[in-house]
Amino acid sequence: MSAYQLYRNTTLGQCLQESLDELIQMGQITPQLALKVLLQIDKAINNALATRVKSRVSFKGKLNTYRFCDNVWTFVLNTAEFKDVGEIAKVDKVKIVACDGKSADK
Amino acid sequence: MENSNFPYSSGMTPHQSPMVSPGTLQSFGLGPTPTPVMPPSNSSMYPTTPGAPMTPFSPAPASASEGSGIIPTLQNIVCTVNLGVKLELKKIALHARNAEYNPKRFAAVIMRIRDPRTTALIFSSGKMVCTGAKSEDFAKLAARKYARIIQKLGFAAKFKDFKIQNMVGSCDVKFPIRLEGLVLTHGKFSSYEPELFPGLIYRMLKPRIVLLIFVSGKVVLTGAKVRNEIYEAFENIYPILKGFKKQ
Repeated sequence: MSAYQLYRNTTLGQCLQESLDELIQMGQITPQLALKVLLQIDKAINNALATRVKSRVSFKGKLNTYRFCDNVWTFVLNTAEFKDVGEIAKVDKVKIVACDGKSADK
Repeated sequence: MENSNFPYSSGMTPHQSPMVSPGTLQSFGLGPTPTPVMPPSNSSMYPTTPGAPMTPFSPAPASASEGSGIIPTLQNIVCTVNLGVKLELKKIALHARNAEYNPKRFAAVIMRIRDPRTTALIFSSGKMVCTGAKSEDFAKLAARKYARIIQKLGFAAKFKDFKIQNMVGSCDVKFPIRLEGLVLTHGKFSSYEPELFPGLIYRMLKPRIVLLIFVSGKVVLTGAKVRNEIYEAFENIYPILKGFKKQ
């Protein structure tokens, strides 16, 4: 029943975690509730990305390092270029963490 | 990383064929006349005056047993080494760069380095296979680099029983070959099934080398434990191939 906790380490996920920590500090919520919220956000983001997002981005760059362990790919690219329809983003260094899309827990 | 005891190659430029020393060619049994060492035909290091010695090492040839003048280039070396200590593959996969570990599919870490460009299979027993190097020195150097990476991760890695298991070479005789003819006369050694594979598989007995011979004249030699076996096998096959040149 659990979804990838991958998205907790995103700008959105980090903001949420900081807010939840603040609320725990102020005694307004319990840690168990914060955990439940995080599990819910995992499910929600995974679901939304899988069903409500149709756009595709392609990227290329120079592969610096790669790693495959626990079915998770981690890449570090140098001088990468991300291309979306009409938008191009160039970056010197990017770290990509990728989990398997097909065998995600239902 | 030049080992001065090793007479063959600098190992630096993969496209440059090594100069074979005359001592090696004598072991080919080409006859009492010392065979001249000829540089590859695409280089013009020596004068081509007929009758003049081709190299500083030996006199000009007198007979027809000249040697092919072509030196196969090494393309791949497979070697093994025992690091002598049990390894935690997950720890290695998590901390080393350029590593893959999928225990469901294969029980080893697959690691790569860029220089020398090689791939290593590292097993939990501490044994390692290293492939892809273009020379013996590079193979040993690469294996040592992998051992160093494992050491840096905190394992007491050693470098036991390094052994080259297989060497692959290739070359071009520069003329088309009648494979059908070759399989007819050398049936005991050849297997040619063009519907299965376009190359003729020639299993030479001495040295024990397998050659893939193609209509284009390209030859792949494999199964060698030492570089000499590749050279010897090619010198053995060359006159046979000349006999089956497509006119």
